[in-house]
Amino acid sequence: MVNLQDVFFDYGEGETLKNISCRIDKGEFVAIIGANGAGKTTLCKLLNGLLKPSSGSVVINGMDTGTTKTSTLAKSIGFLFQNPDRQICKNTVREEILFGLELAFNDKVLIAERLENTLSTFGFQGDSNPFNLSRGERQRLALASLIAVEPEILILDEPTTGFDYMESMKTMGMIKELNGKGATVIMICHDMEVVLDFAERVLVLAEGTIIADGQTREIFRKEEALEQASVLPPQLAQLALRLGEGFEDVFSVDEMTDAIMKRMNKERTFEHERFSGLCTG
Amino acid sequence: MKGFLDYVPGNSFLHKLNPLTKLVLSLMICVACFISENHLLLVAIILLNLAIAKAAGILPRGLMLLKGLTKISLVIFLLQLLFIRGGDILITLPLNLLITERGVAMAFVIVFRLIGATMPLALMLSITQMNDLSNVLVTKLKIPYKYAFTLTTAMRFIPIFANEMSGIIEAQASRGVELDTRNIFKKIKFVLPLCVPLLITSVKKIEGSAISAEIRGFHLRTRESCYKGYPIKKSDVGVMFFSAFLVFSAIIVSGA
Amino acid sequence: MIRIENLTFKYRNSKKNALENIDLSIEDGDFIGIIGKSGAGKSTLTYVINGIIPHHYQGDYYGSVKIDGDDTFDKTPSELSLKIGSVLQDIDSQMVSSVVEDEILYGLENFSIPKDEVEPRLSSSLKELGISSLRYRTIDSLSGGQKQKVAIAAILALRPKMLLLDEPTSELDPKSSVQIFQLLRDLNKKHGITIIVVEQKIMLLSEFAEKLVVMSEGKIVFNGKVRDVMKHSSELERIGINCPRVVTLSNRLIDRGVDIGKVCINLDEAEAMARGLIHG
Repeated sequence: MVNLQDVFFDYGEGETLKNISCRIDKGEFVAIIGANGAGKTTLCKLLNGLLKPSSGSVVINGMDTGTTKTSTLAKSIGFLFQNPDRQICKNTVREEILFGLELAFNDKVLIAERLENTLSTFGFQGDSNPFNLSRGERQRLALASLIAVEPEILILDEPTTGFDYMESMKTMGMIKELNGKGATVIMICHDMEVVLDFAERVLVLAEGTIIADGQTREIFRKEEALEQASVLPPQLAQLALRLGEGFEDVFSVDEMTDAIMKRMNKERTFEHERFSGLCTG
Repeated sequence: MKGFLDYVPGNSFLHKLNPLTKLVLSLMICVACFISENHLLLVAIILLNLAIAKAAGILPRGLMLLKGLTKISLVIFLLQLLFIRGGDILITLPLNLLITERGVAMAFVIVFRLIGATMPLALMLSITQMNDLSNVLVTKLKIPYKYAFTLTTAMRFIPIFANEMSGIIEAQASRGVELDTRNIFKKIKFVLPLCVPLLITSVKKIEGSAISAEIRGFHLRTRESCYKGYPIKKSDVGVMFFSAFLVFSAIIVSGA
Repeated sequence: MIRIENLTFKYRNSKKNALENIDLSIEDGDFIGIIGKSGAGKSTLTYVINGIIPHHYQGDYYGSVKIDGDDTFDKTPSELSLKIGSVLQDIDSQMVSSVVEDEILYGLENFSIPKDEVEPRLSSSLKELGISSLRYRTIDSLSGGQKQKVAIAAILALRPKMLLLDEPTSELDPKSSVQIFQLLRDLNKKHGITIIVVEQKIMLLSEFAEKLVVMSEGKIVFNGKVRDVMKHSSELERIGINCPRVVTLSNRLIDRGVDIGKVCINLDEAEAMARGLIHG
């Protein structure tokens, strides 16, 4: 469980956070959205203790980040950075995943088992050199070595940047699966379609404060807050907003198709009734 | 994280000097430091460095530099203290170690020299744009552009790499490597393997930089390409005279 | 005008062809988006166009690339860059200066642009991108979107007739990404500059580009007007490219037997289509 109370943060220059209070429960899937420079990454770094709040408190699973080392917090928090090259430091895919496991566990049998499992779920060749992989593959490797540990909390800083659509879906699917097993997922994401498809709750950040916090669908109808955070809702949500009445809860392709066809039939039935009314009258 | 070499914009008298003048001034301060063995003069030079930092509006950086250099100096001071022998013996320590009068005097000289000579270069780089420096090296000192570019690119990459390294350290700490330990030896053990990712990123960045220069006509650049002029003004002449005076007084004082 | 004929390229030390049998013509004034999975050969395609291949990276090269009739083998990347300006992927490593003004001067100085022409070019390219106020700022102090604009302005000052950009929005937030594409459209419409842009965000391409080149495993799989390419949404999905959701919506409605005329590729078209359907 994550608990932030009256958190303020000041880098000395530029990015700051002001008066952040929020609670994220076990098993939630939360997206943090907002413009660059709104403080999204700062907020995430506060969660795993890389940054300490100037005032207020950040408590993760009962541990205060102000007094706990990042390397200790790392046992329960996995953090995927935007740039996988900063994470990968071994010469083979196998060693890379093993490195993460060895940092978290002592049990040799468990480590060996997790290693093989991870290699096969991600479909990696254990002996290949990470630096010969494409950027997307390296990002998947960085994620694999985090997921292998099965952290209670997973923080993702723009997990789909540099991915093509297939890689995005594959990776997000795996993250969702981990979430299904009870892990809390907190992700920064610029791709609103991904947010719509995967997140249950959205925090909207603008100029260092949380300006909206709620269920994903509810947030995507708050035009003003999104505007203030310079975020555009997903494409079909925008279409639904433009079409107005009768499209209030329409977000997916299926829902939009149904909504349009329903309205078409309604108009037709209406005309049909009027026409038949004229005849009989 | 801000580096200690990147350019700090400003409008001070020192900012406006010709880059060549700034280079001469800082080099002459170094030379003066190496000529002189006089404690007072060396301390005066360190104070002069701070005065320069103040005049350029970068006193905090100057003090930061002084603090950092003092830390390094402490180690050097102790080593010098124990290894240089001459004159009266002041203290006799176990293991046949002696602290002598000359040892104390020389340890101070070396430490003051190190501080006095390192500061001006760092300060000069803080108030001079790399491009201006490279342009002056090419137009005034007739250094081939290729070398000037290599030098300035290397300088430009220092903060980029420092930034990259702190990013790598953050990423590794986040996965549980005990980089946040206070034990310096443990820390070194953990940091060394991280040179691999740093190297990979560096090679990529340098490659990108080379391509970028190539498609923007790097090969075509000649000495006449430079658009901005770098005239030597009266103030430049004044500062150059001052630099010469500094070296001269160092010679006089050490000769006396 | 760019003509790529029957081009196959394999990087030295690589087992697979990075590009295979590429045939592509780009006319003056085009606005072309190049899209494909990572590793499909998009960046390599940009390198053969601006001459980085074969001059910087070597390998097995078959076929020809001609820029306005000149073979890229016979011209250096520098010479080519006066016709076709390139903005590379990594924003930070392509900056050579610490201040915006110097960054723009760099290319102008190298190509020995006459001194009386330097200032007008410098100020007009800054103005064109709406960043005149950033002229004396240090590059460190800029946001990602501002840096990207500086990179484009630096190339634009050389007055190329074609602009080649490799994922210019990969590090930007949605709002700055749209801004960059609006700028590209202005340059294309107002000054007739040919725009060739590699981009992962299909929504931006369907909104701004006129033509689309789809790559997969080193080959060009689709090449044509954006709308025509979007008709193949299921094939596109198979090779790892998702269409904008309004395209999927259009295709779904067609499948359900609704007559919607043409496939919608952006929000405005989708709104018009939906209103048309609802109100008869």
